[in-house]
Order: sequence, then C-alpha cells, then structure tokens
Amino acid sequence: MSLSDAGEKLYQELLKTTNASPEGLKKVFFQEDLAAFASDAAGSVAELMSLVAELSQAMLFRTSKLGGRLCWSIRPQSAAKAIKALNADEQTVYTYVEEAHEKGIWIKDVKKRTNINPTVVQKAMAKLESSRLVKSVKNVRNPAQKTYILFHLSPSEDVTGGSFFDAGDLDESLIEELSNLIIFHVRQQSWVDQKSKRPRRDLTPLSDDDEDDDHRHRTNAVHGKKRKLGASQHDTIDIEDSIPAPSRSALLHKEIQNDPVTAIVYPAYTRTYPTTASIHNFITTTDAIRATKAETLTVSEIQDIINVLVWDDKLEQVGTGGYRTVRGVNFRPPGFPTDEPEGEDGEGWAGNALTQAPCGRCPVFDLCHDSGPINAGSCTYFSEWLGDSLD
Amino acid sequence: MLCLAPASSCACPLTLLEQIFSTLAEYGRLTLQTLAQHMGVAPRRLRHAIGLLLEQQLVLRYAPEDGSPGFYSVDWRNAYGIVRQDNIIDLVKDRHGEGAGKLVGNILQLGSACVGDLVRAVENTKAPNHISETNGNSHEPSHPSYFADITTVSQVHAALRVLLRSGLVVKVTSRSYVAPTDLQEELEDIVKNAQFPDGKISGPKKQAEFKAAVNNLKRQWREADSYSDAKDLASRGSGVGPNKRLKLNGALTNGHAYGAESDDSGPRLSNELIVRVNHSRCALALRSQRLQQLAKRVLGPVTAAVYGALLRALESKCRNVRDDEIYETEEDEEAAQPIANVGEVAEILDPTIDLTSSIKGLGADENLANGAGKKRKKDRDDYADIGIKREDQSDSDGDQRSRGLTSYRDRSKRLTHIQAHLCILEEHFYTFCSRVRAHGGQNEWRVNFPTVTQKVILAELDTTISARFGKVSLRIVRMLREKGRLDEKQLSSRVMMRIKEVRSILTQLQFHGYMEAQELPKDNSRQPSRTIFLWFIDDARIQSSILQQTYKAMTRTIQRIEFERKEFQPVIAKADRSDVKNQEQNKLEMAEKQMLRDWREREERLWSQVSRMDDIVALLRDFSKKDVSLLS
Repeated sequence: MSLSDAGEKLYQELLKTTNASPEGLKKVFFQEDLAAFASDAAGSVAELMSLVAELSQAMLFRTSKLGGRLCWSIRPQSAAKAIKALNADEQTVYTYVEEAHEKGIWIKDVKKRTNINPTVVQKAMAKLESSRLVKSVKNVRNPAQKTYILFHLSPSEDVTGGSFFDAGDLDESLIEELSNLIIFHVRQQSWVDQKSKRPRRDLTPLSDDDEDDDHRHRTNAVHGKKRKLGASQHDTIDIEDSIPAPSRSALLHKEIQNDPVTAIVYPAYTRTYPTTASIHNFITTTDAIRATKAETLTVSEIQDIINVLVWDDKLEQVGTGGYRTVRGVNFRPPGFPTDEPEGEDGEGWAGNALTQAPCGRCPVFDLCHDSGPINAGSCTYFSEWLGDSLD
Repeated sequence: MLCLAPASSCACPLTLLEQIFSTLAEYGRLTLQTLAQHMGVAPRRLRHAIGLLLEQQLVLRYAPEDGSPGFYSVDWRNAYGIVRQDNIIDLVKDRHGEGAGKLVGNILQLGSACVGDLVRAVENTKAPNHISETNGNSHEPSHPSYFADITTVSQVHAALRVLLRSGLVVKVTSRSYVAPTDLQEELEDIVKNAQFPDGKISGPKKQAEFKAAVNNLKRQWREADSYSDAKDLASRGSGVGPNKRLKLNGALTNGHAYGAESDDSGPRLSNELIVRVNHSRCALALRSQRLQQLAKRVLGPVTAAVYGALLRALESKCRNVRDDEIYETEEDEEAAQPIANVGEVAEILDPTIDLTSSIKGLGADENLANGAGKKRKKDRDDYADIGIKREDQSDSDGDQRSRGLTSYRDRSKRLTHIQAHLCILEEHFYTFCSRVRAHGGQNEWRVNFPTVTQKVILAELDTTISARFGKVSLRIVRMLREKGRLDEKQLSSRVMMRIKEVRSILTQLQFHGYMEAQELPKDNSRQPSRTIFLWFIDDARIQSSILQQTYKAMTRTIQRIEFERKEFQPVIAKADRSDVKNQEQNKLEMAEKQMLRDWREREERLWSQVSRMDDIVALLRDFSKKDVSLLS
C-alpha cells in the first residue's frame, strides 16, 4: 500500500523534525502542529483528518494522549512494515511496549492492561521478540520481572540502575576504583603535605619509617599503638618502680612530634574545597577510567559515591558543598589490599573501651549472671584477655 | 548493681557498711529503725556505721525539723563516683600537677576530709618517707615521695585553694548530706512560710513571684556553700592582692607553682573546713577532655590543644553540666552558653607549642614579618619542623627598649594564630566552636555544648557499631540516621550494595536491637509479601542500651578483680605481712615475686579497663542533659 503524495510529504516533514528534535521518536505533534506542517496540502480540518487516518492506517502514525489531548508521533517505515505483518493481538501488545519507551514494561502489566488471554500475550511477545521488534531487559529494581522494550531503544537508567550496574549486576570494582580516585583527588586538594615532622636526629628513630609511603605509614601508626600498649603493660609490672609521669607539656610535644599524620590544614575560610561538580569534572576528564564509562557518569552518581564516602568516614563536608578528606585518610595506591585488615584475633580493632573489654565482645553477654553458669569468675574470655593460657 | 560492686570493694573489710548500703539500695529511703529491722541488727550498732557512710558521701540523710525520725537513702551518683576515682585523679594531675592529684586521691578515698587531716597526712608522711628512701628501693634514685611536689604545709593550702577555686573540690556543709529533692522541698517550705503566709502560690503572677523567690534563696544558699577566698581563709599572708592572680596562672599552665611559695607566709585555710570532690564539676572537666580528644582526631594535636585551652577558659564560666535553666528554643540555649575571648585562651595555652607549623601559610607569614637575620630564620624553621617553638634566646640579649615592642608584637601575633586555629575548629563540620558576633568584638568565642556533645555521643555510638559489626554496617546506620526511614531497595541503592548483603546486615542489626523495621501493609490482608518494611534507627535507644551494656561490663570487670584477688590470695597475704612489707625484694622468693607482679599487672589492667569504660558512661550519661537516671 502506497501513500498519497500529501501523506508521504507530511510524513517526510515529520520524520525530519523528529530526527532533528532531541526527543527522537518520542516527539509528539498536536493537531495544530500537523496543520502547520500540512497547511498547503490540507486546508481544512476534515482534510487533515483524512491524512492522519491514512497514516495511522499505514502504521506510520501512533496515536496517544498527552495532557488530555490527542497527539501523534511517527514510526520509522521499517517498523511500520513489520507491524503491518502482525495480527491484531500482536499489534496491541506492540503498542503497549512502544508506549513504555525506555522504561520498558513488565509482561504481567501488558497482560493486565490489554485484557487479552495471557497465553496469547505470551505467544505474541515471543513472536515480537523473534522478529526483532522488542527485546527483554533486566530491571535492576525488580530482577525477577520480565521487562520488554522496543528493540532499537536502549533501556533508561531506571532500568539498568545507572553507570554502576553492569548487565543488571552491581559493578563493585568500579565503585571502589571511583571511590579511591575521589579520595585521591580530594586529598590532594584539601590538605597540604609537609615533610615528616620527625627530624632526622630524633631521639626515637623508627627504622621502618618512610614518609613517602602512605600505606606503610598507616601500618606504622597501628604498630605504634601496639607498642605503646606493650610499654604501658611493662610499666605496670612493678608499680613502685614507675618513674614520675612526664609533665603535660612534654607529653603534648611528644604527641605533636609523633603524630603520624603529616598533612596540615589550610587556614579556615580561605579555600574552596572540591565540590561534587568539580569532582565530577575531574573524574570525567581524567583518563583513569574508561572513556565510555566516564561519558555516562552523571553528577548525581558521583554525589552518590561521595555520600557513601562520607558515611564511611572518608570524606567530610566543609562549608556548603565542599568536601575534604577526613584527617589521616589517604589514597590507596592501586594494587594494595582494600583496607587494613580487621584483626583476626580482634587485636587490630579500633573501637572503644567497651568493645575492647571481654564483655563488649562476649557472645553470651546476655546469659552472664551473678549466680548463673556463666559469671565473672568462670569466664574464659576474661582469662584469655588477661593472657592466661587455656588448658 | 554496678554501684554495689565498687561500694563493696571500697568498704570491703567493713561488711556492716556494705550491708547497710545494699539494704538501702534495695529498699530506698529508710529510717534508722526500719533499716535496722530489715537488717536484723540493733539500731545502736548502725549509728556509727551510717556515720561513716555519710562521711564517705555514699548515703544521704534527711532530718525533718519537727523531730520525727530522719530518713537515709543511697547517693547513687557519689557511689558511682568511686569507679571514676582514677579518672578524676588523672585529670587533676594533668591540670594541677602530681601533688594536687595525690591530694584529690586522698580526699576521694576518705569521701570527705577536713583540711586539718590532709595537712597532718603530709606532715606524717614526710618523716617515714625519708627513712624508706634511705633503706630500700635503692635501684630507683628518683623515687617519688608521697606528695611528689607537695611537701610543706603551705603547699597543701595553696594546692587546696587552687582546687577549691576551680570548683573541682568543694566545701562540705550540712546541706551536702541532704538529697536535692529534699532540699528543694525545704526551700519551698521556707519561702512559703516567710513570704506567702496565706499559702497561695497558684495564680500565674503569684507563681512567678514564688519561683523567683525560691531561686533567690537557692542562689543565696549556693553562695553560702561555695568557696571564696574572703570567707574561708583563716589567716592571710602578706601579698594576697596582685600576687594571687599570678599564682593561679602559674598553676594552670604548668602545675608546678607550689614550689615557688615554699615560705610559710601564704594564706591558710581553716583546719576545720571539710572538703569533698565535686563530681558534677569533674564531669564538666572530663567533658572538655573528651571534646579535645575528638578535635585531636579530626584536626590534629596542635589545634586540639588550642581547643582545650578554649574549653578550659569556658569551663570556669560554666555552671554544671546540667543547669536548672530550661530554654525555649535551641537558639536561646546557644545564646546562654558562656563566652571566652582569645586573650583568655592565650593565657591558658601552653606557650611552648608552635601554633604556626600546623596551618598552611602561617609559618611563612611569620618569617616574612620577622625580617630577622638569615641564620635565625633557618634556626626557627628547623624547630618548627618538629612542632616546638624554640624559646628564643636571641631576644634576651637584644637591647631593652626594643624588647617591649617585640613582646607586644609577639603577643598580637600569637593571638592571630590562636584565632586561625579557632577558625579551623569553627569551619569543621562538627562546629567545635563559634565566633560570637552579637557582641561586636571579633575575638570572642563560644562553644555550643549541647550540640557538640550530641555529636560526640553519636561518634561514640558509631565507633561501637563499627567495632562490633564492621564498617559496612556503620555505613548503613549513618545513612539511615541522615535519611530517616527507608525500605530495602532504596536503602541498598543508596549505600551502593547488593540487596542480599544489605538484608543480612539489617537482620543482624535488628537482632541486636540497633535497628527497627516498621511494617507498612499495602492492603488489609497484612501478608508479609504485601507489606513494605521501613528500616530506621533510634539513637536514643542505642545510646541507652550501650550504656546498660557498659554498666554490666564494668560490674563484671570489677567482680573479676575480686575473683583474681582470691586466686592470688596466698601471695598477697604474704606480701602484706608486716615483716615483709616494703622489703619484697629481699623477703620473697623468685616465684612469689613473679606471682605478685602478675597479680598487680592483672589488677592494673582490669582497673584501667574499668576507668576507660567509665569514659563511655561519662559521655553517654553525664555529658548530655537528656539522661537523668542518676540525677542527684
């Protein structure tokens, strides 16, 4: 079936406009728009109506409603040809999938809305799929629901879950890389590195001290803590022998000297700390991540990562919208283990006095009772904590 | 429960005291007669014991004026204070020197002590101390004497005066033994009888008048009970006026100022004056310590030191952690916080700390402004590297005229540096302090204690959660704290984790009572599959549950000490024998020495753990106004 000249001309005009518009095939035309396009071919409304009817018949027009008014959008000719080959049920199913655009539609919804026998819908969908008119996609929000969209469309972010999803699955390594990259960037921008405060001729040399290696430095700090713990235990061995405590200011000076964090802060209110937008800019312009991936990253996705980093105590907000790294947080060079291992024996735990005490970690804490089977005297965790060998 | 354990350990040999205390704890307020009945002991025998408990500040007493029998009740706060002893002593040592710490330790051990006794203790220890130093312990030449730097009577008086003035130690008056609620009632009765003879205090106008009158009388009482140099000095030395301020400053900065006035001319306190440690004041000081710690973690030690100085400057102006005022809005409350100016901070701050090296740009600035010779500049840089400002000797041999100018300039530069640090504190997300603009002056600062304290509390909860359940759980908890109630799907997308992982963490947290789920059925059938579960956390609840757990853990730790003591009983008993004491090195065998050392190590370790857990209790219970479980 061939179109009338007027119809063909209108279709070509609309196709041009549609291709030019950013909405693509979603571009809709109201009656006035159509009248404007076809002003020479169809002077009256009746003439226009017949044109529209012709194009609709040829499946080149799709009718929908927007804001209570009828409107039309066009289909590509190839699609129109394929649709015409379908039977009525299949056509109905196709229009529903088409209407759902990039969001896709759950097959159960199609069944419900079309009021067609479910098995027929199932069959129709299978046919549409095999003739490459629709395709099924995985919806991250509801992975169990079979969702269909038109074959030539790519699913929207709502369906795919955005840049952090790879084929419907969370791309954890990407998130981690990005987090690390953000920390690196913000760290560079928000603190000034200075040479180790510890002078060369210091009284307490640490042999494995290496200020260039941030990671080593961090483990150093942990060791230092342990060493201190050991020392204080040693002190308590003979209480009478304890030497008088050094004065407060001496302690403070020592503290300042041995501070493992070498970064110093910028004066307040003088610096514009990186914002989400600037971090996004850095991430997308650097070649640290794949270009195709970088293109799809949006500012709000970067904001999501930043939020997580804030909750993880890696970044903190300064002023309105600026971020800096939490003091002591450092960039982890690629290839290093993900995080400081949480000590298997519980020794490396940060935490507070409660969680370090045997009771704070006791699995039978709620059962512990003065005259019960478990009490302070019979507690094995205490013995362990006090360094008894269990036999 | 927790209070019983320390109370019993402190009154250990006096089992009668322990019994009285636990009976009172169990039954609440009792008269002497009913107490005797409950215990099955003659009231006559109880009288003395109760006197001791009163002296130790463990029991409160209420005696009506009309001669009816008095009531006794437990003073929970002071009883708890026993486990805080170590922390308080450390605090005082840190601020006012070793000797003052020992002095406070003495007062704490006795509960309350009169000045005469404290003085005598020093006098007595002086003599035997010399003997023991000549006898044994020769391997430790600098063996600290009982009062490390307080050896003369006037030093005791000076130290006590400093403590009294700081409020850490207060006078004991007859009112100190009465429970605050009783005091309040008594107060109201007096006011009613004196100013409102018709007994009508109900109208809005009358009520306001009545309240004002009550507060007025309360203030009078408070003033009468509080220490002042004018009233409480028995004798005065020569130079009380300008000299006094100088001494105070010296004591604050380095705590070793007592030696300076070793002559016996200093003013003295009356020997009959009874003093005790003021626990609520100590809570205030401990709070400052805690805030400073947090500042150190997030902004480094130098800035934290500046913050500490600001807090101490404010402390003297604060009333107790909880004051009586009730504020309408948060702004009112903030406006009511005390203010300190930079000058006061500078006076308290340790002058040897280099303020410039920890902020970008400050150090360079100074060098430019100095314009001094090249060598000196280099010199200074070297020391700035290690964070210590060298005490400049070159200044002293400069000519006298320019020195005045230099010191003036140095001071103003120092104030600028302190301001820079305070700005950093203000800029931080926690808003550690804030500049007061209402007063026009640029350099006045205040700390909004309620909000900062709340943030510290949340940080403590976070630490606990992260230590127990790992970082990922913490992420979820903090996210929910910020966002409110969310269902699984929103939750997992925000924390960027797989829904399955999130689910298991949520269940774990819910099991341990850290998290709650709200059910929101989609229809009337209330099937779980047709229900939305919104997850949320309740910080107040977590706070109280962690507090309870801490109490229990502390109790267990203290009980464990008793258990360990029994294990080591033989060797402890031997070491305590009069012929062995002080000569452990010679009289004990190798194995016994090892055992003794082992026991001491264990005891020390357990007690220090108790003290550290007390830090948590102090934070969760005493620093915020919200918890009133131990209000007394």
